[in-house]
Amino acid sequence: MTDLAAEGRSVHGRRRRPSGEPPPLPYELNRVAIAWLVAFVGFAAVWAWIVFSDEPAIWITERDLELAGPIVDNRRDWLTPTMQRINRLGTSWVTPIIGWCIIIGGLAARRIRHVLLLIAALAVVAALSTVVSMEMARPRPLGVTQIGEWEGFAQPSRPVALMTTALVAGGLTLTPLGRWRRIWAFAAAVILVVFGLAQVYVGVDHPSDVLSAATSGVAITLLLYRLAAPESVFPIAYWTGKTAHLDVTGTRGEAIRLGLREQLGIVAIDIRPVGLEGSAGSTPLRISQQDGPDIFAKLYARSHLRSDRSYKLGRTLLYGRLEDEQHFTSVRRLVQHEDYMLHVMCRAGIGCTEPLGLVEITPEREYLLVTEFLTGAKEISEMEVTVELIDAGLAEVARLWEVGLAHRDIKPANVMVQDGKLRLIDVAFAQVRPSPWRQAVDLANMMLVLALGSSPQMVYDRALLQFSEDEIAEAFAASRGVTLPSQLRAQVRRDGRALLDQFRSLAPHRKPVAIQRWSLRRVGLTVWVALIVASLLSIFLDNLSDIGLL
Amino acid sequence: MTTHRLLLVPCIVALGLLGIACSIEQALPPPSCLGGGSELIVAQSVPTATLVPCLGPLPDGWEVASVRVDQNGSVVRLDSDRAGTDAARLVFDRQCDITDAVQVPSDQSGVPAYEAIGRIQPGFLGARTYTFDGGCVRWEFDFDHNVSATLAIDLQTRLTLVLRSEINRSIRENFIDEEL
Repeated sequence: MTDLAAEGRSVHGRRRRPSGEPPPLPYELNRVAIAWLVAFVGFAAVWAWIVFSDEPAIWITERDLELAGPIVDNRRDWLTPTMQRINRLGTSWVTPIIGWCIIIGGLAARRIRHVLLLIAALAVVAALSTVVSMEMARPRPLGVTQIGEWEGFAQPSRPVALMTTALVAGGLTLTPLGRWRRIWAFAAAVILVVFGLAQVYVGVDHPSDVLSAATSGVAITLLLYRLAAPESVFPIAYWTGKTAHLDVTGTRGEAIRLGLREQLGIVAIDIRPVGLEGSAGSTPLRISQQDGPDIFAKLYARSHLRSDRSYKLGRTLLYGRLEDEQHFTSVRRLVQHEDYMLHVMCRAGIGCTEPLGLVEITPEREYLLVTEFLTGAKEISEMEVTVELIDAGLAEVARLWEVGLAHRDIKPANVMVQDGKLRLIDVAFAQVRPSPWRQAVDLANMMLVLALGSSPQMVYDRALLQFSEDEIAEAFAASRGVTLPSQLRAQVRRDGRALLDQFRSLAPHRKPVAIQRWSLRRVGLTVWVALIVASLLSIFLDNLSDIGLL
Repeated sequence: MTTHRLLLVPCIVALGLLGIACSIEQALPPPSCLGGGSELIVAQSVPTATLVPCLGPLPDGWEVASVRVDQNGSVVRLDSDRAGTDAARLVFDRQCDITDAVQVPSDQSGVPAYEAIGRIQPGFLGARTYTFDGGCVRWEFDFDHNVSATLAIDLQTRLTLVLRSEINRSIRENFIDEEL
């Protein structure tokens, strides 16, 4: 047995991951989150115990009063007004101000997911506080004169829990990981310690009320954010482009290198994002190899899967099931589909990029689709569109029609020109045996892309060499604003020549193809989504005060 | 999506929404004369008061709508199937205004009672106040049209004023060596 075989490595550098060995980027909840969760579970266990027995409640209350005693017994005239002001601000003003600042800041930064998570975290923490306080029915500290504001039972301290939630959620929503996050965490900790001390000083909370509330707030918020908006997938960054793009430096960068080496035998010496402005559904990468030409890769994560799901749900609500709107159920299936479509396209002779394989970064969560890199290629919108390019572009559509395929995302960013040859990239939306409507839309979109760099008349004249007048008329009858990918729509609008109208006037008149599809499923889904949104909105508005936002 | 998932997901979401909607609101139990409830924090809401109110089982048709207890006092709102929503309120406070009220025989021994009647018909509107050292308890009634004031009499019998010293004794005996 050779040394390579002993390591489980093939002569091509590839290596099968043995059972039990972690993948390149193992999925972890995060150690800090786990530590808070453990502390929270500890409090939950104590709460459960107290429900069944008075003994722990007596012991905890005695310890609480021992701890709070020196603070309360040493109230000073010069300090009391300040502590009362902190108590008043903390129970009435601070949390709503922080909460609304985060909501407004989050919406301004288009972090709707984070904003919804803040509201969810506040609701869950408020609900937990209600349930626990009802079960505990703990009075305010006994033997102590309360000189501050309070409401209801003591354990856990509701204002501390809500303020903690808002502060932790604020850090996770607004500050980038690293220095700013640390500064935020430090400031939040200072605010909470001061507020907690003030609560004990004015005699409205026991130390354990403050501690259990802060622990619940941190643990629940961290858990929700880590599960629904993990930093690795939804990083907080400013001025770095679209939020769909993942950071490929650090741990993930190392995992990509390891995965490429072990799964495809590719030794990457440099990984850098490329063409981010034209891509929203994945993170496109250019990878330099140690031996061989540069390669191209698209990194897919669960955020992209969710985007695909919301996009298809939105289309179903707006147009019905115009075509296959079945969403992908896992990232693996999403990349498998694109890899398959690349193979189908290349086999059919469409000018596509050669697929080189898939790399698993985190099982079911992150995958890399690797293809050849079109060295020296330019986006068609960056060059003059010649007659040869028009013919080539139209020929690609004709070929797609011939072999029963649709690209479904023809836009300038996906039509590349390399050495005078036209290549169609990004086949993530491509479909086998599409509807005639979708094939017609592909033709219209290609003609619009070509007309952006030339003239509608020239494109129309050349199209007549490969398509009939009726087919072109059908293409523009099927096409309208919503059928244009957003980049193409923006460029057509910016062009200002009313290209769609010009094409329609050149082609024979044809009644527009209806794109609304009504079915019981669509009606039911619309009603269901409306009900969910209305219920959530109603719960949110009805409980603004209870979740600390009013 | 399979059919059973189509059915399951809405059910889970609906239950979740219902659960959150029901539990977010801070709901307190009323101060109960049978022990438990919010009796201790109600006592803490007016720390000067020598007596603390508690409620026994409510007459048929009455239910607690909300309870608010804070550093300024306590308010229990009650709904009735005949007298309407928010038909009665029990207020525990440091001071009560009895300038327009007249003293009436009290059903709480040793505690003077005052009544102020706004109207008898249509729909009873009035208040009954008990004053004692450091605080007071007031019943406020605002019944719907054509509902007799006798409904208020039955409700008033469910109020008991407990000595703070009794509550403190109970705490010392059953919990820890401290008092309110």
